Amino acid sequence: MSLQSFTPSQALTLGVELELQLVSTHDFDLAPQAEDLLRVLKNHTGTWDVKPEITRSMIEIGTSIQRQHAVLLAELQDLRDQLSRGARKLNIGIAGGGTHAYQQWSQQKIYPGERFHYISELYGYLAKQFTVFGQHVHVGCEDGDRALWLLHALSRYVPHFIALSASSPFVQGVDTGFDSARLNSVFAFPLSGRAPFCLGWDEFGRYFDKMTSTGVVNSMKDFYWDIRPKPEYGTIELRVCDTPLTVEKAAALACYLQCICRYLREQKPFEPAEDDYLVYTFNRFQACRFGLDGEIVDPKTKERTRLRDDILRTLARVDEHALDLQALDASNLIRESLFAGNDAQWLRAQRSAGKPLSAVVEAATQRWMGAG
Amino acid sequence: MPTQANAATAVAHAASAPLWTLDGLRAADPVLGLALLMLVALLLAEMLHRTWRIPRICGHMLTGAIAGPVMLRLFEGLELDPWKPLIDLAIGAMLFELGTRIRPRWLLDNRWLAASCLLQSALCGALVMGALVWLGAPWLTAAVAGTVALSTSPVIVLAVTHESRSRGQVTERLLLMAAVNAVIAVIGLKVLRIMLASDADSPTEEFTRASISALRVISGSFLLGVACGFALDRLSPLVRGTPAMPVLQIALVIIASMLAAQWTLSPLLALLVAGMTARARMKHGLTVEPHLGSAGAVLNVLLFICLGLLFSLEGIGRLWPWVLVIVLARLLGTALAVGVLARRSGLGWHQAAGLSLALQPMSSLAVLLAADTFGWTTHLPGAHTPTIQALLLATTLMQVTGPIWTQLALRHLAHETNEG
Repeated sequence: MSLQSFTPSQALTLGVELELQLVSTHDFDLAPQAEDLLRVLKNHTGTWDVKPEITRSMIEIGTSIQRQHAVLLAELQDLRDQLSRGARKLNIGIAGGGTHAYQQWSQQKIYPGERFHYISELYGYLAKQFTVFGQHVHVGCEDGDRALWLLHALSRYVPHFIALSASSPFVQGVDTGFDSARLNSVFAFPLSGRAPFCLGWDEFGRYFDKMTSTGVVNSMKDFYWDIRPKPEYGTIELRVCDTPLTVEKAAALACYLQCICRYLREQKPFEPAEDDYLVYTFNRFQACRFGLDGEIVDPKTKERTRLRDDILRTLARVDEHALDLQALDASNLIRESLFAGNDAQWLRAQRSAGKPLSAVVEAATQRWMGAG
Repeated sequence: MPTQANAATAVAHAASAPLWTLDGLRAADPVLGLALLMLVALLLAEMLHRTWRIPRICGHMLTGAIAGPVMLRLFEGLELDPWKPLIDLAIGAMLFELGTRIRPRWLLDNRWLAASCLLQSALCGALVMGALVWLGAPWLTAAVAGTVALSTSPVIVLAVTHESRSRGQVTERLLLMAAVNAVIAVIGLKVLRIMLASDADSPTEEFTRASISALRVISGSFLLGVACGFALDRLSPLVRGTPAMPVLQIALVIIASMLAAQWTLSPLLALLVAGMTARARMKHGLTVEPHLGSAGAVLNVLLFICLGLLFSLEGIGRLWPWVLVIVLARLLGTALAVGVLARRSGLGWHQAAGLSLALQPMSSLAVLLAADTFGWTTHLPGAHTPTIQALLLATTLMQVTGPIWTQLALRHLAHETNEG
């Protein structure tokens, strides 16, 4: 199978996908009720989309194509409100967060669907362990070449998104010490990590052909890269974020990405190079492990800085783009969260009050569902 | 008719018989007999479960039925009296646990579900009553039978969901509806009692007395449950983190049951409310193990053996059409109520079918536990015996086979059991 051509799309348009947890209101463990919620939401009034995910305790929602923060946020809030009403009708809760704090992966049930059964058969227990929850952000690009350039230029900022969105400190009932333990689950997949360094769509097509000839992959869906091109949508897709605990944070993260993309495209502050990836896994690890307190190495200058400071400097650089994109509210929310702490810290704070993990999940559920 | 001398000879003969013979077992110490019965029940339940995946409680009830007056007559009904406190405790423990599982707020969040609960109770009761009147039963006895028949056994559905480790929409609704319709049945019996007052010699006085009694029982049971829940909340910090937590819960369940019986309140209502209050007060601080722990699990086995011992097949040859009518009317009433409001309340068709089937285990015990306390049987001196007997037979049938229907529904229609 050959790589399909890249469908052109309007530059810097946004699409947000959120994988969400469905929890029981009794014990706040994951509840296998995705089919029920999808049925209840079948006639929802929004332009957004709700889909099943690999296990029955997850759903994925996707916004329509957006350009501005305010509209994106309004759509996410509408989505959150309708989802919450549906969940209340079914006596379940919906929560953000990259992992469920104490679910047992072996108890999870694969959602009935051809693709999910294929993944389950191929990856065995890893498929059930993949009951983790992420935010994916699509950014529109005019063509494949520009998409790949942007994809590699963005690699320097991947730790920003990991640290800002980190909301998965607890796994299987214990504090892992990581702010984002979710990405460790993703890393178990053989085709995860970074995309190969190709800056042209034709060259990428040749790589794809070689991979398909080995029989290892059939489509782009088989790649679990941190950022991957999505030729059918005409986008690149950032996949490193944990699902935040609120839709407001999700919208802000998406628009922060939009601002960085505009900054990179218009100012071209550097040219991406293969050597940028020398520090990629180190920086990624620091962001996962220590969140905003982690340190990263600039791939160009080789300077070592605190991630929090690097994000602050980046925010200053992209502010004029935020102004042009009408995304200043998003930038401000990101700036505030640098001082207030990320969602992983919020979850740990809930736990440190002496509450059991079920209470932490309930608090996260209330935070996501809000008053909607 | 055996003479006294013959009976004495028979007892003496039985007492001298070896333990492994039927006569020996009949004469054995009841405690030893029950212990042996528990052993047999466990083995039989395990065999049935492994061979045909039949719920274990069916094995326990079957053992009781075989040992009881219907077949081997190892135990006679009266011999169960000393065990009644233990049986009550086993039921109480499960009702308390069920109370902790229920979130009444759901009925406000999903008004169609609340309507479905009410409609299910109303239709089941009305259809059973209507069918019995059509067969020739007097309306009052038919009304009592309909009220008893509208409820689903909370004890059986909780036991089956525990065993199959089912989770999902049907399981949650099953537990909620079993609790709600048991409460409606209790209240319904009280209402019938008030209606009976109109036939008394001095109707106004009797009506007032019956109404006050009903109010006293319902509000008293509610208050007792609330007090029990508050007490658990207050006492829990003293034993938190120790293995004594289930002991504390069991102790409070015993106290609540005893007080309810003492004050002629409804233990069913009191314990359900106690569970709900404890959950609302303690939230995540409340850990309730299935059956309130291993001691509760022993009581549970004992409970289902005793249910088996109480089975009766008397008159089945003559009354089977009545029995069939009761069973079918219940099934029809449940299926109609659940089906009509299924989509509005957020349920799929398969799930609606599953829920209807899962609600079939009948509940005599929970209702009769309350009914004994209310003493409604004494207010029905002219009860139509065939109707009551048919109700008892239907209850027997749907108690022994009910767990199978519930399990099949949860496994094959709702796909909510862990094996799925």
